[in-house]
Amino acid sequence: MPRPLSLPLTLAAVLLAVPTGSRGADEPPGPAQVVDFDRDVRPIFANHCTSCHGAEKQKGGLRLDRKTDALKGGDSGAVIVSRKPADSLLLHLVGENEKDRPMPPKGARLTTAQVGTLRTWVGQGAKWPDDGSAANPADWWSFRPIIRPPGPEIRNPQFAIRNAIDRFVLAKLVEKGLTPSPEADRRALLRRVYFDLIGLPPTPEAVDAYLKDASPDAYGKVVDDLLASPRYGERWARHWLDVVHFGETHGYDKDKPRPNAWPYRDYVIRSLNADKPYARFVQEQVAGDVLFPGTVDGTEALGFLSAGPWDFIGHAELPETKIDGKVARHLDRDDFVSNTIGTVMSLTVHCAQCHNHKFDPIAQEDYYRLHAVFAAVDRTDKVYDADPATAAKRAELEAKKTGAETRIAAIEAAARKRAGTELVEIERTIEGAKQPAAPPRAEYGYHSAISDREDRAKWVQVDLGMSMKLDRIVLRPCHDDFNKIGAGFGFPVRFKVEVSDDVAFKMNVVVVADHTAADYANPGTVAVNVAAGGKSARHIRVTATKLAPRQNDFILALAEVEAFDAAGKNVAAGKEVTALDTIEAPVRWRKSNLTDGIFPTAAKVTVDDLAKLVGARDAILAKALDGPTAAERRAASADRDAADLSLRQLPASRRVAYVGAVHTGAGNFVGTGPTGGKPRPIFVLPRGDVTKPGREVGPGAIAAVPGVNGRFELPPGHTEGDRRAALARWLTDPANPLTWRSIANRVWQYHFGRGIVDTPNDFGKMGQLPTHPELLDWLAAEVRDGGGSLKKLHRLIVTSSTYRQASSGNPANEKIDGDNSFLWRQNRRKLEAEAVRDGILFVAGKLDLTMGGPSFQDFVVEKPEHSPHYQYHLHDPDDPKAHRRAVYRFVVRSKQQPFMAALDCADPSLAVEKRNQTITPQQALALLNNKLAVAMAGHFAARVEKLAADEAGRVSAAFRLALGRNPTDAERDALTGYAKEHGLANACRVILNLNEFVFVD
Amino acid sequence: MNRRDFLWHSGGGLGGIALATLLGRDGALANGGLHHAPKAKRVVQLFMAGGASHVDLFDYKPELVKRHGQPAEFGEPVEAFQNGLGPWLRPLWEFKPYGRSGKRLSEVVAPLGDVVDELAFVHNMVGKTGVHSQGTLLQTTGFNRPGFPGMGCWVSYGLGSMNENLPTFVVLPDHRGLASNGTKNWDSAFLPAQHQGTVIYPGAKNPIEDLFPDERAKFVTPAGDRAGIDLMTKLNRGHAATRAGDERLDARIRSYELAARMQLAAPEALDLSKEPAHVLKLYGLDHGKSAFDKEINPVEETDYFGRKCLVARRLLDRGVRFVQVWSGNDNGFPRRNWDSHEDVKRDHGPLAYGMARGAAALIADLKRLGLLDDTIVLWTTEFGRMPSSQGGKGRDHNPYCFTNWLCGGGVKGGVTHGPSDEFGYKPADRKHPTEVYDLHATILHLLGIDHTKLTVRHDGIDRRLTDVHGHVIPELLR
Repeated sequence: MPRPLSLPLTLAAVLLAVPTGSRGADEPPGPAQVVDFDRDVRPIFANHCTSCHGAEKQKGGLRLDRKTDALKGGDSGAVIVSRKPADSLLLHLVGENEKDRPMPPKGARLTTAQVGTLRTWVGQGAKWPDDGSAANPADWWSFRPIIRPPGPEIRNPQFAIRNAIDRFVLAKLVEKGLTPSPEADRRALLRRVYFDLIGLPPTPEAVDAYLKDASPDAYGKVVDDLLASPRYGERWARHWLDVVHFGETHGYDKDKPRPNAWPYRDYVIRSLNADKPYARFVQEQVAGDVLFPGTVDGTEALGFLSAGPWDFIGHAELPETKIDGKVARHLDRDDFVSNTIGTVMSLTVHCAQCHNHKFDPIAQEDYYRLHAVFAAVDRTDKVYDADPATAAKRAELEAKKTGAETRIAAIEAAARKRAGTELVEIERTIEGAKQPAAPPRAEYGYHSAISDREDRAKWVQVDLGMSMKLDRIVLRPCHDDFNKIGAGFGFPVRFKVEVSDDVAFKMNVVVVADHTAADYANPGTVAVNVAAGGKSARHIRVTATKLAPRQNDFILALAEVEAFDAAGKNVAAGKEVTALDTIEAPVRWRKSNLTDGIFPTAAKVTVDDLAKLVGARDAILAKALDGPTAAERRAASADRDAADLSLRQLPASRRVAYVGAVHTGAGNFVGTGPTGGKPRPIFVLPRGDVTKPGREVGPGAIAAVPGVNGRFELPPGHTEGDRRAALARWLTDPANPLTWRSIANRVWQYHFGRGIVDTPNDFGKMGQLPTHPELLDWLAAEVRDGGGSLKKLHRLIVTSSTYRQASSGNPANEKIDGDNSFLWRQNRRKLEAEAVRDGILFVAGKLDLTMGGPSFQDFVVEKPEHSPHYQYHLHDPDDPKAHRRAVYRFVVRSKQQPFMAALDCADPSLAVEKRNQTITPQQALALLNNKLAVAMAGHFAARVEKLAADEAGRVSAAFRLALGRNPTDAERDALTGYAKEHGLANACRVILNLNEFVFVD
Repeated sequence: MNRRDFLWHSGGGLGGIALATLLGRDGALANGGLHHAPKAKRVVQLFMAGGASHVDLFDYKPELVKRHGQPAEFGEPVEAFQNGLGPWLRPLWEFKPYGRSGKRLSEVVAPLGDVVDELAFVHNMVGKTGVHSQGTLLQTTGFNRPGFPGMGCWVSYGLGSMNENLPTFVVLPDHRGLASNGTKNWDSAFLPAQHQGTVIYPGAKNPIEDLFPDERAKFVTPAGDRAGIDLMTKLNRGHAATRAGDERLDARIRSYELAARMQLAAPEALDLSKEPAHVLKLYGLDHGKSAFDKEINPVEETDYFGRKCLVARRLLDRGVRFVQVWSGNDNGFPRRNWDSHEDVKRDHGPLAYGMARGAAALIADLKRLGLLDDTIVLWTTEFGRMPSSQGGKGRDHNPYCFTNWLCGGGVKGGVTHGPSDEFGYKPADRKHPTEVYDLHATILHLLGIDHTKLTVRHDGIDRRLTDVHGHVIPELLR
């Protein structure tokens, strides 16, 4: 809202009456003189305004560096009203009389002359030369529909036109005056295509066979074999995992491992090997559970959503009600949104978190609509059936069980209605009596491990240190709002209390309380007293024979166990606690909390009082349930129990995968499970501030993408899964141009070392333009219209003449295109960390090609109970478990594998669209001295030792294995001489450190 | 990698030229290629992991002494990290004035009294959240989530190396374990890997990862390694000769020569045995003990922190640009970091004394060698602690207000900037707190860099250390 006028007219008159004539820099032009925006106004804005109202910050939603935005105004509406200085808020705020919001708020005020200049400028019509800011931001190459372009006509081709790729590339070369390079020699080409497609070097036998094969499709056969090899999926999965920032620990503080993250890695490998249509590949990763229910891939693919880091403390120790808890969850959703849109569409949607995207057509609202898509999702372990038949049976039984439970609930609700206010009153009294009198402390108590069965006996016991005469024992229940349970959380349904001098409770056990025959009414936070009758014992044990329900699972929890002697002294205080099992999640849950003197207390109520109240309540309810309803209820209970029993008898084929899903699991962290997966409300957050929510938004995507509707228009009552399914469909719609361009560019990138767009995660205005836009569109159309096959795309690329060019230089071309943007040669590429490591193991004869399953760990974990220390230096390099391919390595976030990190492996804390390629002394040290590299040099030597009778023959064999060629005479002699003096192992170590080993021509 | 990147990646004395290109300057090499004349060349950052208590160390609050034990009335709802704030808790140690400036310091950091007139205190630092990981990342990288380069990485990227035989950015972690986020506090993220912090464990057999070969391999010998690098160079030259124009091949040949030189330079830099007795004494390393008590104690903490400070001084003296020294490990038990929820006196006491002794020695030593004039020392932590107790002897997190101090390298000594309120709960002027961006901007400014101009485009944004924030604090400049 424009602010009401407060400027005294007299002052305005004075300002307008400044004399004209010869004017200095600090004098305003008179009304007769035309103000020039660039000369007179822009400098004022630039010097005084745009640091807060410019490209970087738009305080009050206003920016004064671009015409369209400036004339549109800010949060308070228009600030510049053409020809109406008195209506222009800008002039009021910079005026010397402004008291409320003087602008600029800091530093020098504008001079009277400057204000006069602005006033005159506005009065003269606020003329601002066109600066292009009015252009439709969606009119941008990557947002335009993909129309398959025809391949250009090429006359007198300078290399063989093998497919359309060559037409597009050659046309560009001709246009730029560049000459293509000749085809690489066969040996170089073979090594190149091996590393590109499977990430391993060809064996000497493969080299020989290929060189001998004179048939015209010799190369094509090699390509087909490589694409059919399971090694292909392993190689290309790693590229995908870079982009989605897959890791197997949470990161942040207390970097906990994710032992169940690997199924996602296997899913990616399997899908690529199967050449799964790209649309389905994407759909499964966003909403596989909804779109392909009951499939293994549909569950495991959701590891895409959970791939990134997770702030364990921000979620587990901070509830959603706290500001810091909100921040943690906001950052978490930001990761879901950025990962999904960045990976699939190559857009930087995260830039719209605080304001509309400054460069691309992504509204802030779009960004928060995407938050709403994932608003019920957290990172969590999900149990699923690896066998589809079992999955179907389970779904059927669960439906039966739910049906019976619904019937029971209806019957009980009717009975409650009949019982009337009397029941309501007494239940209110009982609830009130159970509640703690004071707010809860941070230390809750002891909490057992979680059981999926209620009939698993669990015990916890206190060691008094010596045998003592006990008068009474007091059990203090817990309070935890988890799943809205509150008072009496985890208190056993059936239990007994025993005392003994035998720590194992095998001998001389005295039972002092036995509630194992019938359910014990939950006492809330009321203390449960047990008379010990002066028995002497050193140990007190509480055994739950029927556990307390938590959330589809069962536990034993107690806040405190006290043991009083005849003098009334608590002799259990501070004493040692042991238990069958415990979750140990300090400070909230740990064994020692059982004797720490901290527990919630209910005000002035005893268990006897409570028992009387409960008895009265039960009587009222029983009366209301009389007759036929009681029989119905029994029948429904029987149905439920039968379904339950069948569920328990299902085959144990269940697996656990760490995925993005509704969280119902264990621990302190509460997701949306307790509300049945209801999405959290999502608000637009001006400047990303969680404490100042704006309006609430529903699920949606980016509105400006043409041809696909970013407003999902889901019916009321839709599930959270419907939201993800809608996004998955939107992403993979054939009309969504970004998705198809993105994947075509990514595949191209890993074959040439650079994408057609050199910013593979940013197809917006801050990214690079495509070097070959028509080619990119043609490739994108090939994938989209060719069944989404990536293998077809690989084949097209690697069989093109463009790909098959030599990588050697050409001075004439270098003058025109030194960066080889236009592909007048193939790029010589430095191998990635995985290819170097796998290559070393492979030539040493040690690479274990076992696929899949839990990751190997090439570290030793110390102090796992709190903040695990991942100690790589303690690991034995000869541990054969760690000799599998690098894609199966357990990826830790807080401490990267030093050898891999030195070789520029992907950092799993950020989306790695392309690897860094550095050359550093630390990298040289790693390849020279790292224990794995050194150990493998030894194995490599042992291998070639057997291959020849003399050192010359052995170094030649090593050369062939590592580099795919025979050494020259000079090379062989130099290596032989060295091997004789310093040993064959060191000669092998030299070979593994050569430039030729880590670069591919 | 284009040619310009290559020049930069190959390291080695190209700082000025590369910087001029990076910063987008028009060939001007005035100021050594910087944005303006620098006051400082080096930085050492002392990081107290876990959250050091400003009100017990540096920010004297007589009001807390007066109201000790009274119910804490903050005048507004307070969201603490853990529930259950107790009464006001007086500083655990007495405060006394020191130096010409008369700055009051807690007796537990009394050794800093000797250099207090060099220090500039900022008492109105604010963070974003009370979560260790986020708070730590915010102070080390300027962002409260992982994926951004550490401050040392940016300095290395902007200024380059002064001694190519040693890493540009060195990290000396607490040897008992890494703090929150592990190496994310100094990883290079989207900057090239040579700018990431190189972890050094002085005294270890391999103080730098893979500096020396794995001991298990008996076939490796020094002579074999020397001859091996010569042979490799020869074979690599032959390979490169047929691949003209690819500078990466030459750079990699050179990287092995540099590696060999680092094998000599690093042990020399870390060898404290040549330090004279008076220097060892200065750092508190003359205690004569070879074993320490099981309980946390000041002699042991002095040894650990002092040793790292002395190593830091030696590295800075040899041309390392940025050294980050950590006090405190992860938030495990028993506490060996500053996260004193349970007992400030027990845990802060030894850590603070050891830190103060080492830091004071470092400052005095840098001054003695004439290095303090162009070396900035920054003391920081992820957040402060509450002026009330948690019901017992500990204090909860306070991200709403905490203290940093800095000195040397163009910093005005003996000043206190930005007071906190009477309890040390929030800044006195809540509308104008100091944020980490301001400190980072000020330090870059002293290094000759305009913090808004040292940028790298990543994922659609021109990223910089100070995000879109930060103002140089003129009050801290000499």
